[in-house]
Amino acid sequence: MTPGEPLVRWDWIASHLDEIVLRLGEHLLLTGLAVLVGFAIAFALAMAALRWPRTYAAATWATGILYTIPSLALFALLIPFTGLTLLTAEIGLVGYTLLILLRNIVGGIRSVPPEATDAAAGMGYTAAQTLWRVQLPLALPVIIAGIRVATITTIGLVTVTALIGQGGLGYFILLGIQRFFSTPLLVGAVLSVALAVAADALLVLAQRALTPWARPRP
Amino acid sequence: MSPRGATVEFRDVTKRYEGASGARGAVQALTFTVPAGEICVLVGPSGCGKTTTLKMTNRLIEPTSGAILIDGSDATTGDPIALRRRIGYVIQHVGLFPHQTIAENIATVPKLLGWPAARIRDRVAELIELVGLDPAYAARYPAQLSGGERQRVGVARALAAEPPLMLVDEPFGAVDPIVRERLQDEFRRLHQRLGMTVIFVTHDIDEAIKMGDRVAVMRAGTLVQYAPPAELLEQPADDFVARFVGADRGLKRLALIAVGDLSLRDAALAREGDPVARGDGYVLLLDSGRRPIGWVNRARPELGPDPSSPIVTRETRVKDALSALLATGVAMAVVVDADGGYVGTIGLDDITGLLTAQR
Repeated sequence: MTPGEPLVRWDWIASHLDEIVLRLGEHLLLTGLAVLVGFAIAFALAMAALRWPRTYAAATWATGILYTIPSLALFALLIPFTGLTLLTAEIGLVGYTLLILLRNIVGGIRSVPPEATDAAAGMGYTAAQTLWRVQLPLALPVIIAGIRVATITTIGLVTVTALIGQGGLGYFILLGIQRFFSTPLLVGAVLSVALAVAADALLVLAQRALTPWARPRP
Repeated sequence: MSPRGATVEFRDVTKRYEGASGARGAVQALTFTVPAGEICVLVGPSGCGKTTTLKMTNRLIEPTSGAILIDGSDATTGDPIALRRRIGYVIQHVGLFPHQTIAENIATVPKLLGWPAARIRDRVAELIELVGLDPAYAARYPAQLSGGERQRVGVARALAAEPPLMLVDEPFGAVDPIVRERLQDEFRRLHQRLGMTVIFVTHDIDEAIKMGDRVAVMRAGTLVQYAPPAELLEQPADDFVARFVGADRGLKRLALIAVGDLSLRDAALAREGDPVARGDGYVLLLDSGRRPIGWVNRARPELGPDPSSPIVTRETRVKDALSALLATGVAMAVVVDADGGYVGTIGLDDITGLLTAQR
């Protein structure tokens, strides 16, 4: 940090409000896209795992390997193939959400009380009706818990994608590091944390609204 | 709304599981008929094949061979999904959908059948009343109900589309004995009113005797005896059935007989306020509405009436009258009508006479 420089220069923040909003929007977009695409892939893998239980071990193994690759290394490995693009960023981000989402979707569905599915079958639900009307709604609390973890993790990871030129709040952090200037660094870090907290709170509210039956009542 | 019951005919129904033929739940060459509108209880030790038999009826388990005819048409061919929507189904632990309200749970099958919303709404309200629940429960979730209430909802849900056949698997296993007794009575009353055929699985012989018009005793996948409860108790087919119904089968038979089935005795009566003539024996004092007050000892009328004699009705099971007599330590119970008015009396020796006459 430059000596004599205050920790936060409010005038810098005031003069860069437009850019802050822009980067925040980028950050949200990168995160939302990653969680959405990750969920779609994890859902397909989960459906396969439920139909062919043997595929589950393979899927958790593969997504587990993905999860352990350091993000910087992954981006570095991808750049020769996909360049400094949104695609590169999203491949990495999506990859990190898969393990958590897959585990929670499968775990949630497996935790549905067997008597509920037995009753559904006995009353004439088809397999698809049982899935959509009984198993998935009952698995929702566990699935949303997975989405919360995936979202928070992704918001943190998106700060790294600034390195491959995809913007987001990581841009300010990078700027701060490069210029020994604490204000943008703090703006990026604080907003990233605030975004994670806000997203988590929103998801908790969404879960409450979607699962009124799970609320403890007198 | 009185759905006629369906006749269910099992013809040489066999279910084999891979491996040994004596596997748990396998059944061999089961042949019997459940007459329309009756409750048939399948009973036997665990693994005897009773639940397999039940689940083959709605094809949650497919039989290896044989036919199950429901009103003459073979249930083992055709669309199993459509079949299940025509058959009521109640299982152990109820299996209500926790994420749906009571009204939504009850509406399950009507919705699957595509009933119009207004008809479903009316039917749900009707059923909630039919099983004796508060209409306010419609909007609640299963977790907010007691075990007994959930069980009632389970029965209402199974009845929703007026099925001519209902399959019931250990429905009252998870509730405490007092609630179970009440639910059993309610179920019998409901059955009397609606007249559907019921196939009922239990491992509890007392429940089988109480609930069944006919009881099918199963052992290791075969039908050992198929008879009305009284016959089962009087003439067990073999040692296995005799042991299964228990050494106290004489006493159990008392649960099948009502006080009104016996010939009642008349007692000497006196009106409250009337003078009681001195003499021998006892006289029963009645109030102005002919309701019993107590027994007066003619030798010592100054002691006043003794009210300790149990009061029963014609509908009281003889078994309950006997236990009331044993509990109070008196030899005579007073039988009253619905308004509490005197009808007659029944003595301990009338009941023990019944037990010895059976031998």
